[in-house]
Amino acid sequence: MLKTRKNEIFAALVLIAPFVALYGWMFIYPTIQMVHLSLMNAPLIGEGTWAGLKNYQRLFNDRIFRVAVWNTAYFVILTVVPGTAVALAIALMVSRLNGWFQSIILAMFFLPYVLPVSVVYILWDWLFNVQFGVLQNVIQPIVGHPVNVRRTIPWFMPTMAIITIWWTNGFSILLFLAGLRNISREIYEAAELDGASRVQVFFRITWPLIWPVTVLCLTIQLILQLKIFDQVYLFSRGGRTQATMVLVQYIFEQAFQKNNGGYAATIAVALFIIVVAFSVLQFQAARIRRAT
Amino acid sequence: MRGILGKTLATAALLAFTVGAQAKETVVWWDFLGGGDGVRMKKLIEDFNNDHKDSIEIQGTTLEWGVPFYSKVQTSAAVGEGPDIMTYHSSRIPLGVSQNVLVEITPDDMKTIGLGEASFAKAPWEAVHVDGKQYAVPFDQHPIVLYYNKDKLAAAGLLGDDGLPKGLNGVDNFAAALKKLQDGGTKYGLSTVTADGSFAYRTFYSLLCQQGGTAGSDGNWLPGDNLQKMVNAVQVEADWVKNGATPKNTDYPSTVALFTNGDAAMMINGVWEVPTMVDLQKQGKLFNWGAVELPVFFDHPCTYSDSHTFAIPNNVGKAQTPEKHAAVLEVIKWMEDHALFWATAGHIPANKAVTDSAEYKALQPQATYAPLTANMIYDPTSKFAGVASPLFDAAGNSLTPAINGEIDVTTAVTEFRDTLTDLQ
Amino acid sequence: MSAVVEVDVQGPGRRHGAAGISALLLTALTVLTACIWFFPIYWALVTSFRTEDETVKSMSALPLQPTLDGYLYLIQNSSLPIWYVNSTIVSISVTILVVAMAACCGYAISQLRFPGRTALWWMILASFMVPVPALIVNHFMIIASVKLVNTYPGMVLPMLIAPVTVIVYKQFFDSVPREFREAALVDGANEFQLLFRIFLPMNWGVTTALAIITFIGAWNSFLWPFLAAQSEKMMTVTVGISSVQDAFGVYYARLLAGAVLASLPVAVAYLLFQRRVTEAITLSAGIKG
Repeated sequence: MLKTRKNEIFAALVLIAPFVALYGWMFIYPTIQMVHLSLMNAPLIGEGTWAGLKNYQRLFNDRIFRVAVWNTAYFVILTVVPGTAVALAIALMVSRLNGWFQSIILAMFFLPYVLPVSVVYILWDWLFNVQFGVLQNVIQPIVGHPVNVRRTIPWFMPTMAIITIWWTNGFSILLFLAGLRNISREIYEAAELDGASRVQVFFRITWPLIWPVTVLCLTIQLILQLKIFDQVYLFSRGGRTQATMVLVQYIFEQAFQKNNGGYAATIAVALFIIVVAFSVLQFQAARIRRAT
Repeated sequence: MRGILGKTLATAALLAFTVGAQAKETVVWWDFLGGGDGVRMKKLIEDFNNDHKDSIEIQGTTLEWGVPFYSKVQTSAAVGEGPDIMTYHSSRIPLGVSQNVLVEITPDDMKTIGLGEASFAKAPWEAVHVDGKQYAVPFDQHPIVLYYNKDKLAAAGLLGDDGLPKGLNGVDNFAAALKKLQDGGTKYGLSTVTADGSFAYRTFYSLLCQQGGTAGSDGNWLPGDNLQKMVNAVQVEADWVKNGATPKNTDYPSTVALFTNGDAAMMINGVWEVPTMVDLQKQGKLFNWGAVELPVFFDHPCTYSDSHTFAIPNNVGKAQTPEKHAAVLEVIKWMEDHALFWATAGHIPANKAVTDSAEYKALQPQATYAPLTANMIYDPTSKFAGVASPLFDAAGNSLTPAINGEIDVTTAVTEFRDTLTDLQ
Repeated sequence: MSAVVEVDVQGPGRRHGAAGISALLLTALTVLTACIWFFPIYWALVTSFRTEDETVKSMSALPLQPTLDGYLYLIQNSSLPIWYVNSTIVSISVTILVVAMAACCGYAISQLRFPGRTALWWMILASFMVPVPALIVNHFMIIASVKLVNTYPGMVLPMLIAPVTVIVYKQFFDSVPREFREAALVDGANEFQLLFRIFLPMNWGVTTALAIITFIGAWNSFLWPFLAAQSEKMMTVTVGISSVQDAFGVYYARLLAGAVLASLPVAVAYLLFQRRVTEAITLSAGIKG
């Protein structure tokens, strides 16, 4: 018996070894090193010197950091709740359909999700092109003139939000569809017998039952969109990057464009704390809900 | 599973080998020449490779101009993965040296190339030196110019008998000309990059200089009345935008498209767009056009210029082998010898042997704007100036909103100066 | 499009009167929304088949003179074929390694008792909180310190962190009845045989689903390959089409053809394995469908 126990431990260690090794090397170690680096005055590659809390002092007085925090928050506000609402609406529409018709319609909604970000960038940049973009046919009648959405600051983040919702919504749609499928038909049939209207059915039955999935979607989106980088980087290239800066982009800029490894790590720690704070809040909220 | 992984790694190794195992010396080349001049550079590289079939092959990559290019150069050199040779703006050399990104070009190297101080125009030659050491070989000078649609200018009575524009000197005259052009049915009088203050800075810097102003130097930017002169310069362009003579928030590709499709009668842009016009005209898709030195908006003629150079990145931990270095020098020498073809890309070669040649003097419209070399001004020598530098950033971030009427010009220029002053 | 609507009429439309009409309207609205949603992709396809001249002159619904010029140019003259090879090597390596490591680790946590098991499990759960993009600076330093920048291993390594995959495996292995394991142990099978002969084949669907979603994720990832691939020869499709300019000015049809080619493998993978992708997404979010 002792031998099997020993064998079991040995087998377990062999099985977890690759994952643990990688996890330690690519996850734990860089996380610790990030905190260490944030206390250094160091270039991206090469020796640094101890800086103590200087980077953090600089962070608190850094106007661009505040812009980046604000833009990131603004982006989160523009995408998370609206995106989830749109996803729920689409899921409700798609869930009414069935068979291959549903498959086709779902594919039309989901395909953007599997596109690489560079493709999303090229597609939308072309759609919004000031001279030849087909969407200027929509913008021009409303605004009166073509708008360069990449370069007009008030348009930038809302445009990024629309593109992001278009791009990433497939994920939430699928979650909602799975959630809707889990609601038993009998409840609906009973409601129909009672003569409930569509709107009543939605608010009395669907909405409460789909609420846990909604919370899940909101949480996933929140954590995801806090890490926004790709789209904003690609669309803001050559523009007023300071005005459209988001947090991960600021990390990137400091490390890879300005060669300030230490300060970049400091911003990374700030992002880290923000994400952890949101995660903990969400976890606590979930616990309180369960307790009551 | 291990089989597949093994094959994957083997494929990787194989790919690495096929690149490395050739007897021929491979020179990895990066440039940022994505405009009309990029076509000419591709051709030069192709010709070079044909001339050196058995000995050297250039593998060229064109990356996104500006900040993306220079960030990549900086990062890749730091980890020893940069190219063997690259194009580099002379304006940025002090910054590149301060970041330890550039390898010195030694007097021995120059001897190998067979060129020296006497071979080059003065301004680009000086611009590749920092503290008496040379860090690049100048290839050209590329000022900005005024492109014009001859048909439209003629219709507006702005074209002289010599085919050159007339009546454009002076801020007010120029504005009146723009109005005339628009009254004649042209959508915009002038197209120029208004979405990016770092691009427009070239125009502002020219106009600052036309008032006898200076950008200043480290710690003392836009001193005294130069601040006001810069405000005057920016105001000129802000007014064009305000009056609808120049479209708002227009970025580079649109600027060119507006001119070539006839929506704008004139364009302020770099000489590197000359080949775009030449090629379009060859295909019968363009009107009669010309390019001239910037008009004198203020007191005297003055035009911003920069210079493309060849530089060798300081690939940390991977110094060039003597064979590779020799190949790189051969590339530079060959390119300098063939700079006449580069001149067809609109640029003014730095190599005097080329600019003195009869063939060069016969090129049009190059010959028309060639006299402006007497009135050129380069960026201040500073590790904060140049393409993709802090100054460039500050111009983009502070001056763009001023051009487009989002903030007051004086506020913007003051912010620009303060940002520069804060740099250490 | 009319055929599609017709089919639907036989569905919810069977009910009569006002409800039937509103159902029909709702379906029409759904189709309209789907068409709007799909429009950017449609427009990219149309543009990619136009002549360059047409891209700037016409906004017709279909190309007036359909041409494959953009595609042919890219295949013959650009680095796109090399980027395809790179993307394939990187994505397949990531997929195999992630799934293999997660299956092993998930199995151990689910079925075996060993010291540190609970701690490991909690750490994996907690790692959800760490924003990986915050680690790019340190990833770059680590990969540079072992001289792996601009190599395949350097690109693959930081992309292997996928704690979700372990969690999904663990949950599925948990639901395998204990009798299977005990019976097999009595028969003299060892843990590795158990995993590869019983547990994995029993959950083959999960593995396929996870592999597909990992592949799509790896093919589409941008930030890390963008930092790790320094030379054109090492770039993936996603990085290449947005960083390398072909130095011939702006050619829209060509650009959009590049976009179409770049997304083709994942789009095809999705269309072929639609059900598995749906499954994978609901699995990874912790909803069992």
